[in-house]
Amino acid sequence: MTVLLEMKERIKRIYSKYEAFIVPVLKFLLALITFSTLNGRMGYMTRINDMRIMLIAALTCSFLPVGLMVLMAAVFSLMHMYALSMEVALVGLCMYLIMYLLFFRFSPKDSLVVVLTPLLFSMKIPYVVPIAVGLLCGPSSLVSVGCGIAVFYLLQTVIDSAPNIRTMGEGEGDILAKVRMLVESILDNKAMVVMIAAFALTVLVVYLIRRMSMDYSWTIAMVAGAMVNVVCLLIGDLLYDVNLSVGSVLLGSLLAIVVAKVIEFFRFCVDYSRTERVQFEDDEYYYYVKAIPKMTVSVPTRTVKKINSQRNRSEGAESRPGPSRGGARRGQRGMTVGTAGRQDISQEDSEEYEEWP
Amino acid sequence: MLSEERIILMTRMASYERGEGRENVKIGNYFRADYIALQILKAIICAIISFGILFGLYLLCNFEELLENLYKMDLLAFGREILTYLVAMVGGYAVLTYIIATWRYAKAKKSLKCYYHNLKKLNSFYHDGQ
Repeated sequence: MTVLLEMKERIKRIYSKYEAFIVPVLKFLLALITFSTLNGRMGYMTRINDMRIMLIAALTCSFLPVGLMVLMAAVFSLMHMYALSMEVALVGLCMYLIMYLLFFRFSPKDSLVVVLTPLLFSMKIPYVVPIAVGLLCGPSSLVSVGCGIAVFYLLQTVIDSAPNIRTMGEGEGDILAKVRMLVESILDNKAMVVMIAAFALTVLVVYLIRRMSMDYSWTIAMVAGAMVNVVCLLIGDLLYDVNLSVGSVLLGSLLAIVVAKVIEFFRFCVDYSRTERVQFEDDEYYYYVKAIPKMTVSVPTRTVKKINSQRNRSEGAESRPGPSRGGARRGQRGMTVGTAGRQDISQEDSEEYEEWP
Repeated sequence: MLSEERIILMTRMASYERGEGRENVKIGNYFRADYIALQILKAIICAIISFGILFGLYLLCNFEELLENLYKMDLLAFGREILTYLVAMVGGYAVLTYIIATWRYAKAKKSLKCYYHNLKKLNSFYHDGQ
């Protein structure tokens, strides 16, 4: 455990030191993965299915807020839909607008969740989302999770309907048939409804349990959340026959718990064995306080001490007369020694300097 | 002389002002009724636009059927039905917005109360220092 805690402290130190570079790089990678996944799965517009365009878009996203990444991903997907058919793009635009106007305005700060949810769905590991969101965000984030799921199923419907849409013509009747087919496919998608309901309930359960004042609340929350998720999905499968694979749900939930444990390690690493309960009062209230110490270790710092022979240096110094000699030597040493060594040598220097005429 | 406690308090307050506090200060600038009314107004506009989009999609999906029955159907009853849906959707959304806006305002005020208490504390540090 100590090794892990030391590693955590090192990671935190590196992150705080290079945050200005790490955050844009992570944003760039996320944007690149998002755009390449979109292009890989849809790829109807060959002009934007180009590495250079993806790189330019990802680089732009790396310096902009995450909200603009959502906008750019939406534009990418709409362009692909437009290449497939104008009617599909129209339905997609309507869906995005409704989501933005009705739901997304309640939790505009959770843009990352809206990007990550469809991405993890396409990677077949969606069960991490509700547990991680329940642990890290508030209950309002379930709206963002729902929007992310709706986006994934919208894109999935478009991908599934693409062969049929391509065979349809461009006549007036065909245009209406395309819109009707797409809207009906989206509305009849029971898997989407089951997923949204299960994930929303899981987010709420995880959030409520982890806020409780009991020992190991985070661990209990993630296990309970995974169980609620599995049960809801199985009930949904029984009721609506959405063809969920039980094995993948169970394996995905186990993976979600593992990821949640990693999140807990970085976000909420406390030592319950040293819990303290104190009680005090002021003029207005009685306070019953439970204080749980965080697990922390100090990372050992390495200091490099370079010991040069005293005689050689003093000989070299004697060849250069005048008071500037001591200063020059001090600067030279400052570049080679670590913190611990530097104090000793500067002391040594000052002694030598005093001996100088 | 540097006061460690004062620096910690100032750092925390600066961090609050940059993050969560910015939004809370914006909310705190409104009176409760004004804030909630503004949010409900925005919600009503959004709900009407969304209803328009949904109705447009409905018309596109049932265009042929509607054209065929245009002269047979009771247009007044149809209009009344659409209006009922519109009122139900906008009303439901406005109520939801009212609940969320009330909760957010109370939360922001509570958070700002703590912030202003810290401001007073910081001020007292400066007076004590003098």
